[in-house]
Amino acid sequence: MSKSKRGAKKERGEPAEKNAPEPAGKEAGDEVPQAPPVAMSRAVTAIVLAWLVPGGGHLLLGRLPRAVFYFVWVLLTLAIGCYLHGLLPWMLHGSPLQVLKTLGAMGSGIPFFALKLVAGYHGDLSSPGFEYGGAFIVSAGLMNMLLVLDTWDIAVGRKT
Amino acid sequence: MSHFLLMVVYATLLSVFFAVLWRREPKERWKLFLQMFFGLVVGAVVLAWLMYPFPSGPPAPIP
Repeated sequence: MSKSKRGAKKERGEPAEKNAPEPAGKEAGDEVPQAPPVAMSRAVTAIVLAWLVPGGGHLLLGRLPRAVFYFVWVLLTLAIGCYLHGLLPWMLHGSPLQVLKTLGAMGSGIPFFALKLVAGYHGDLSSPGFEYGGAFIVSAGLMNMLLVLDTWDIAVGRKT
Repeated sequence: MSHFLLMVVYATLLSVFFAVLWRREPKERWKLFLQMFFGLVVGAVVLAWLMYPFPSGPPAPIP
């Protein structure tokens, strides 16, 4: 079929030919299905909730199975870090890397502050798992930050 | 708990998380999971093997 005929079909909303080549840089299955966007206030509430409670944003947007999975997964990562007596970082003046590490760990939201301020958890320097546990704890925070971004994408209709 | 086991646990947690976050189809999820899991584990072992001949430095300072 000529190019002009194919264009006319597209304008009428008819499906393109099966053997039509994909646009450059795109492969079959690359397209992400989109969802209708929600109101801006709801989107902002969702990302705040997503930060405070892992999976909370997904729950607010009606993605229950994924919300449960993310909640369990982030908390499991955090729990393994605590089981290993990993360092729960806190701001240290004059140490930019420590600040970054703390911000990363704070990504967990309420669980981070509950551990720090309510449970009084700090980690055990003498434990063999101190460094590894710290990596798990920071990873849990970073995972939740990605979930915040994912929540935003869902809220504005970029993802389902 | 051994270092290797901890690395495998860490790789599993990350791989499953990213597979669920970035892919929607089960087949695609499995593919990404396997790529990431083996990439992390095998990559770390290869890196460790490459660093093996280098002498270790002084002990790290206690933070």
